[in-house]
Amino acid sequence: MFQRILIANRGEIALRVIRTAREMGIETVAIYSDWDQRALHTRMAHIAVPLGGTTPRDTYLRVDKVLAAAKATGAEAIHPGYGFLSENAAFARSVRDAGLTWIGPPAEAIEAMGDKIRARRRMRDADVPVVPGLVDPVDDPAAVKKAAAELGYPVMIKASAGGGGKGLRICRDPSQIESAFRTASGEALSSFGDGRVYLEKYLEEPRHIEVQVLFDAHGTGVHYGVRECSIQRRHQKLIEECPSVVIDAKTREAMGEVALRAGRAVGYQNAGTVEFLWSKGQFYFLEMNTRLQVEHPVTEMVTGTDLVREQLRIASGEKLGYGQDAVRWNGWSIEVRINAEDPKQKFMPSTGTIQNLRMPGGPFVRLDLGMYRGMEVGVDYDPMLGKLIVWGPTRDIAIDRMRRALQEINVGGVRTSLPAALTVIEDPRFRAGHFDTHFLESLDLASGARDHVDLVAAAAAVYRHHKARRRALTTDSSDRSGWLARGRDDVSTHSARSMRGGNPS
Amino acid sequence: MKYFVTVNGLVREVEVVERLGSLDVRVDGKPFDLSYTEVDVLGQVVVLHGGKSYALSLEGGENDITATLVGHRYDVSLEDERERAAHAAERASGKAGGVLNAIMPGVVVELLASKGQQVAKGTPLLILSAMKMQNEIGAPADGVIQEIHVSAGQAVVAGAKLMTLAPIETT
Repeated sequence: MFQRILIANRGEIALRVIRTAREMGIETVAIYSDWDQRALHTRMAHIAVPLGGTTPRDTYLRVDKVLAAAKATGAEAIHPGYGFLSENAAFARSVRDAGLTWIGPPAEAIEAMGDKIRARRRMRDADVPVVPGLVDPVDDPAAVKKAAAELGYPVMIKASAGGGGKGLRICRDPSQIESAFRTASGEALSSFGDGRVYLEKYLEEPRHIEVQVLFDAHGTGVHYGVRECSIQRRHQKLIEECPSVVIDAKTREAMGEVALRAGRAVGYQNAGTVEFLWSKGQFYFLEMNTRLQVEHPVTEMVTGTDLVREQLRIASGEKLGYGQDAVRWNGWSIEVRINAEDPKQKFMPSTGTIQNLRMPGGPFVRLDLGMYRGMEVGVDYDPMLGKLIVWGPTRDIAIDRMRRALQEINVGGVRTSLPAALTVIEDPRFRAGHFDTHFLESLDLASGARDHVDLVAAAAAVYRHHKARRRALTTDSSDRSGWLARGRDDVSTHSARSMRGGNPS
Repeated sequence: MKYFVTVNGLVREVEVVERLGSLDVRVDGKPFDLSYTEVDVLGQVVVLHGGKSYALSLEGGENDITATLVGHRYDVSLEDERERAAHAAERASGKAGGVLNAIMPGVVVELLASKGQQVAKGTPLLILSAMKMQNEIGAPADGVIQEIHVSAGQAVVAGAKLMTLAPIETT
């Protein structure tokens, strides 16, 4: 096993790796940008190396700086976390070339899965189901009709050169093909100068289901079952579960088998996730994420396995030491991502200084956080501040527990996605398991809660009353400036000066 | 003191009166029993109402407050009577084609903009002292200052013309 590893990441995932490494007696090296000088990962690692620079581009994405930090500290291996350089095959290769161990899959496997279109063709060749459709584009309605009859309706006509929703038509029966082809092809021709179209089976009520896999370097691979990640918007997941209400044990094993086949087809090693689209009992390969994923904790909670420990064991050359039979699933786990985003403003990033933190506790509540009181949230970095994870013996209890934890938690200083997550958790359709990948975007998140309006109005007035009284008693003029800045919606300048002689009584 | 409080789009009139050291609160004219204790300076508040306890979080200034209660967020905007009148007048003057009127009787303390200057909506134009307060008066809309009707030190009556703004001409 390694003596010392470097973690080429920041935030909660850097902490996640540090924690397991500490438990295993492995020393950790953190790297940090100027922005992250006070960050938790900088504080919690054994050694912290400044990279010099503020933006990710100048720091966490700089292969040369990361490698130099590893060399200088004598780290034997590099854990990339997720994001940043984690799916950068060239980086994985240069780590290897530098004589260090890459805690992740071989660069070749990253590359093979990196090109999404080529990966899908490769999967088709490996007998992994992909969304059924035409391999080559066609340019006449008769050919479309013939192919549609073979695929089964509904079908989606997609412009070969399409994008941004242009040239996309859904057909539910043959009578719609003719006009759909004409408009889709016409739009594509005028927008992209290419009127050819693809035909794909249209998946109704699609759900995002993924399979966690682990492969050691000795030919053993096991799957860790499924995660349900359908609560998302624009492919940004908000809530994840393990397992899924729509996947029974038999389907889980079938998907697990397919996921292992997908991994083997590219010579996979270490931890990875095979993502599927699931619709009406059928599942189709979407892509493979060649790294540890944000939502890995829900799998850990249900299987009792520390996936980072397995990653480190595999990377150091150990055998997995167990087979598929050893993997057991117990109960239900749910994760909510805490993002600095405003759900009332279409999840626009929110910046500020983290204040007023109140953390939930109690039984079976896990917090993987990168945030701390006083942390500045800027726009240069990922808006994810951390994750709230719960476990329960059943899905209902896990939902009750998550609701309770979301009622306890408070993150002040920035807007967060937490109220949106609570709205989902409290929705009877979510509890009933009736949702798909469109669910989150179908909710009204802009108007906000209406349950305790009188109470909030009364408390807010008293809050202001006290604030005004305190202000009247204080002579510190710097404390006053904020008052008027707030007092005039559109005005942010001259506020200090205009308060001269002011008395808000 | 009476406040007009908008909570997630719903308006309530809240009256807070201090009597013998305790607070008398009325919401929309009806008495509202409320015990209010601040836990820390960051915004944690314990509120008792109707025999129930609420762990509330309140953050913000005096006009914009974010409240979080059992995990849900309430966006609160709050005006007292004077601010309400001022804002109403600002809105009205915005509609009236860029004439800025005094919202209350007072004294012009200082002019912050000059004739011919192009200003954006909200740019501070002058400071008006009224009701013991110095109020910064912002431009009701984008425009060019066409006329300044007052000078520093001048007393004005409510509704007096302060400045006239012309629309910005596009060439």
